[in-house]
Amino acid sequence: MEEKNKIGVYICHCGSNISDYVDVEKVREEVAKIKHVSISKTTMFACADATQNEIVQDIQENDLDAIVVASCSPKLHLDTFKNVAERAGLNPYNYVQINIREQCSWAHSDKPVQATEKAIQLVKSGIARVGYSEALIKTKISAENVVVVIGAGVSGMRSAIELADLGSYVYLIEREYFVGGRVSQWGELFTTNETGKETISRLYNKLIEYKNITLFTGAEIISNTGTVGNFDIQVKIRPRYIKPGCKVDPEKLQRVIDACPVEVPDEFNFNLTTRKAIYKNFESEFPEIPAIDPDHCTRCGECEKLCDDIDLGQKDEFVNIKAGAIIINTGYDPYEPKTGEFGYKEIENVITLPQLKRLIELNGEELIYKNKRIQNIGYIYCVGSRQKDGENKYCSRYCCTSTIYTAIVIKNKFKDIHNFHFDKSIRTYGKLELLYREASENGDIFLQFWDEDPPVVSSNGNGTVVSIKDMLSSGKEIEVDCDLVVLVTGMVPRQDNKIADILKAPIGRDKFFNEIHPKLRPVETVIDGVLISGACQGPKNISESVKSSLSAASKANSLVKKGEIELKPTIAFIDKNACVWCDECVKACPFDAIIKVQSNGKNVAEIIEAKCKGGGMCLPVCPENAINLKGYTDNEMEAMITALAD
Amino acid sequence: MSKLNPKLVSELQCYGAKEFSACYNCGNCTAVCSLASENNEFPRKMIRLSTLGLENEIESSLEPWLCYYCGECSSTCPRQAEPGELMMSLRRYLTARYDWTGLSKRFYTSEIWELGAIFLLAAFILVMFIFFHGPMTTELTAESGVKLNTFAPWKTIEIGDWIMAALLGFFLLSNIFNMYLKVIVRNKNIKIPIKLYLTTLWDLAFNFATQWEFSKSENKTKIAGKQFNISPYWIMHWFLMSGYVLMLIMIMVFLGWFQTDNIYEWWHPQRLLGYYATFGLMAGLIYFFYNRIKKEQESGKHSHFSDWVFIVLLALTTITGILVHFFRIYGLPLPTYYMYVFHLMVLFPMLMIEVPFSKWSHLAYRPFAIYFAKVIKAAEKVNSKD
Repeated sequence: MEEKNKIGVYICHCGSNISDYVDVEKVREEVAKIKHVSISKTTMFACADATQNEIVQDIQENDLDAIVVASCSPKLHLDTFKNVAERAGLNPYNYVQINIREQCSWAHSDKPVQATEKAIQLVKSGIARVGYSEALIKTKISAENVVVVIGAGVSGMRSAIELADLGSYVYLIEREYFVGGRVSQWGELFTTNETGKETISRLYNKLIEYKNITLFTGAEIISNTGTVGNFDIQVKIRPRYIKPGCKVDPEKLQRVIDACPVEVPDEFNFNLTTRKAIYKNFESEFPEIPAIDPDHCTRCGECEKLCDDIDLGQKDEFVNIKAGAIIINTGYDPYEPKTGEFGYKEIENVITLPQLKRLIELNGEELIYKNKRIQNIGYIYCVGSRQKDGENKYCSRYCCTSTIYTAIVIKNKFKDIHNFHFDKSIRTYGKLELLYREASENGDIFLQFWDEDPPVVSSNGNGTVVSIKDMLSSGKEIEVDCDLVVLVTGMVPRQDNKIADILKAPIGRDKFFNEIHPKLRPVETVIDGVLISGACQGPKNISESVKSSLSAASKANSLVKKGEIELKPTIAFIDKNACVWCDECVKACPFDAIIKVQSNGKNVAEIIEAKCKGGGMCLPVCPENAINLKGYTDNEMEAMITALAD
Repeated sequence: MSKLNPKLVSELQCYGAKEFSACYNCGNCTAVCSLASENNEFPRKMIRLSTLGLENEIESSLEPWLCYYCGECSSTCPRQAEPGELMMSLRRYLTARYDWTGLSKRFYTSEIWELGAIFLLAAFILVMFIFFHGPMTTELTAESGVKLNTFAPWKTIEIGDWIMAALLGFFLLSNIFNMYLKVIVRNKNIKIPIKLYLTTLWDLAFNFATQWEFSKSENKTKIAGKQFNISPYWIMHWFLMSGYVLMLIMIMVFLGWFQTDNIYEWWHPQRLLGYYATFGLMAGLIYFFYNRIKKEQESGKHSHFSDWVFIVLLALTTITGILVHFFRIYGLPLPTYYMYVFHLMVLFPMLMIEVPFSKWSHLAYRPFAIYFAKVIKAAEKVNSKD
């Protein structure tokens, strides 16, 4: 640290905001007496262009080595004057801003004399601090123009295509054996009336045209050791047990499937049906090659006897990837009602909305469930959402529209259907309101319940009855006979969310991934280089998911495309001589930015610069006072305190 | 606990309420309705009962009869659910529910039944005339012209009149009694002291005679820049009704005086009263035809088949009556006879179908509904004092 001999001090009137109560001229006179202050000026508006230019001129002509501006809050103009310093060739970290507006003139407008005294002390402390300031230089690290996209659902695939178009290399990693995620499970979708399958096929056909996209299916990230720009990711790829060159012959595949003795609940159909260990969820599914589920396959070898393309000897593969950024696109799980919640799993014709959607796909001319033709369908809304006392306080937003759209589809597809909606108020926001109108005009009946008085599903000898105290009929108690009761379940975070631990991605109170700022930085997380998009961040419909995935794609690309990333210099540093490696700082750091290294024959802590956010959590816990934060060193802070106490 | 019945919605559509399913319960209709009060959400309550298919509650409701279709609710509805038209349809539905013969429901929900019944009754009249008419003399007498009473003696026709009146009275009164059962007797919550039926009787008589509630529309009559606190609808309705009632009295009670072979001077009461009745009917008819064709007022925007049948039959009756009159006074015997037969062929089905089973019955149900509502309200007051 060089001693500062030529400090420039500027005291701002802020029009009259400051000077009405603080005697700025007196402040200037007082600070001018300080030894190393070579220039002291008052100014009408320090932030005005003319004043900025004057400061630049002062710095250059007088060769100033630090400046202090006493004006408003640093939240407003810290960057303004840092830029002034930089323009003049002075390191911006040799600049200190003192707030004499919010802290003096505005706070003590009733006591101008004392306000002036306080301002003098504050400016003196700023001068004391700047005396110890260090010129800091932003570190730059190299960045791979490679992005890992986790999850090949609709938004993951859309991100991948966008990134490939922007020129990044993309690794698309899908845990399932087939792409498409939740969307491939749905039939017709609002508002395009295109089916989920068609939407996914369209994306997949586009995706495989790109040479700079590599897709792994049956693959999971198992570890990450790197940081932004240089993530070091290990991926485990489970075997498919089918040779890669396999040409699928549907008839032969059916024979092989028939031969498989294993039968397990089919999660793709939300356990409405069963499947074999060798499977493909639907014919046009991608990749075209079927898969054998290693968790359930008994290796009996029946399939191998029928088909040469099957190879039960395949092993797990491991791949290492270097990537500049990661986009988490892992989607959601539908809320699974508890046993007995509105009769779920206790009354046989109570199912969930996702199950109903599969049921529509599985049925032909008539809607049949458990061998019974369905005509009267009751939908109970907000199951597992908007819970006053439960865990899920939030509204999943997509479900009202989804239910209403499904009700319309059912009415068009099957005969003599009556839909009854038991809701807590309908939220078909924006253009989707038209669907609500269509459903009402179709004759769907809407009944509304109070939070504290939810509908009751019961079973009498003849069938299932939903009873409700209907808010729309002044609380009249109504009974409705239903052949099928559909629980409209919202979105919850993925049950298996190991990726959050591996990438240290932050989880919010709702247990979804958390962004930095919901309005201004909606796809970034506090972990540099780790972005989130789609429904893993919170409930979203497909359009909203894709919008966020495109936003994450452009954010990821802008981060890595230059080949290097600038890091903030205000991070912690360790005095290795003083450090005795007690481990306390490691425990305090929420970002895993501190590691153990050998130095001069002893264990000491070291800061990983790319991971440190300058949060300062490690400073107070160090028993040896071996950690300092650049820009906020002990020397600077102590000098300020001393000056204030004078 | 009431049971939802999803099938009522499609049934009510047959009665004309095609759009009310679009309702999303915003309550704008209730906010603008002059009949709505703190305890009675006009017309939203009826929309809700209809949506949920709560037939028993609809059956015991008087609200549809208290509504006079000013149309404010329909023009305010943000979803074009036409609440006014639902109330109209509920009046048709209630007429069918009160009618124990089941014919009303047939006529309202099937065009074939309605037209079939009209032609059947017309054919009956034709057959009666073919077999029982008097001599069709073409000879004109010097003092009186066409001998209509020779072709169709008024004494014979009067017997037919009274048979018809007895039938109409029987059906209509039994249906009103049915209404009384559904609205008051079945409502176990209210006990009505007999005295109240008598003290509120004036309302029944007044409203029966004037249908005064029709005048309270938002639509005001303007004449020469002056605004009157009476709706043009009521004025035209009054013309129509006074003409109709006058004519009915003349043919039922004074047929011998009215159906004369004498040709009086123009100022003779027989002619003047006849002309006034004809004018009243024609003025009302032109207004209602105009309203239904132009569709400017809410009440004219939706026309059920039965609405057209009613005004067409009434118009035909009026026009044939006018022609009978003129053929007779201008001394055209054969056209007078044929037109007379045709006149009765239209008149008879119109009265037989409309009075007990269709639109004319509303004129009885409305004042009775007001009367019952008053009685119930008075009874509630008495009960709450106890």
